[in-house]
Amino acid sequence: MQLVEKESGEVTVLELGGRLDSNTSKVLEDKVMEILGQGKKKVLMDFADVDYINSTGLRVLLLALQQLKKVQGKLVLSSIKDYMKEVFEISGYTEIFPIYPTQEEALANFS
Amino acid sequence: MLPGFSLRIANRLLELDRVADAVEAFGEAHGLSAKLRYQIRLVLDELLTNTISYGYADDGEHGIHVGMAEEGGRLRFLLEDDARPFDPLTARIPDVSAPVEERPIGGLGIHLVRTIMDRVAYERVGGLNRLVLEKDI
Repeated sequence: MQLVEKESGEVTVLELGGRLDSNTSKVLEDKVMEILGQGKKKVLMDFADVDYINSTGLRVLLLALQQLKKVQGKLVLSSIKDYMKEVFEISGYTEIFPIYPTQEEALANFS
Repeated sequence: MLPGFSLRIANRLLELDRVADAVEAFGEAHGLSAKLRYQIRLVLDELLTNTISYGYADDGEHGIHVGMAEEGGRLRFLLEDDARPFDPLTARIPDVSAPVEERPIGGLGIHLVRTIMDRVAYERVGGLNRLVLEKDI
């Protein structure tokens, strides 16, 4: 899994790539905990280069959302590949995560 | 008759790469969409990860058989292992419509398997878990 962290105003942008699975999702979980530890509350995860996610990866997203909600924070997702969208729906994630087609739209809708 | 695939993997998570490669080759041979290839890989990943991570009482090496075939517009997958008896059809499914704060962490994998596949049948035969999964195309 690749992970690039950027700042866009108050928003922490995590550009993810590759696979989010049982072997790699811990990297993202650790990064989320680090961000929370720094008191940051607005997070955008960009999935443009993610080509695979399984339930371990999905679980990290839910954990991150639950932690951010506790501190009145916000987690937004963007750029999920078409072929993976149905799995986000089946997981019930389209109901709880704001999801945007592009990072730009996600950032524009953040505030 | 297009080719089916049959492989035997060891009970190690790294072996899932071989399954992913086999799904890609199978998907290509049968002209399956990117979505279908992803969902099949996901289903097999979820089931095999469960078996490999939690299924065995010892640390020894165990073989797991993975079969893929297409028959009359239906994809069929077979998983056979000698892990502890486990029927994914009786596993508890998380409430995927619960509010965020109350949403359980975990159990999602089996929910994905049961939703994506059109038919799932489990039996315990001769000390083996035998799971047959079907997806209409």
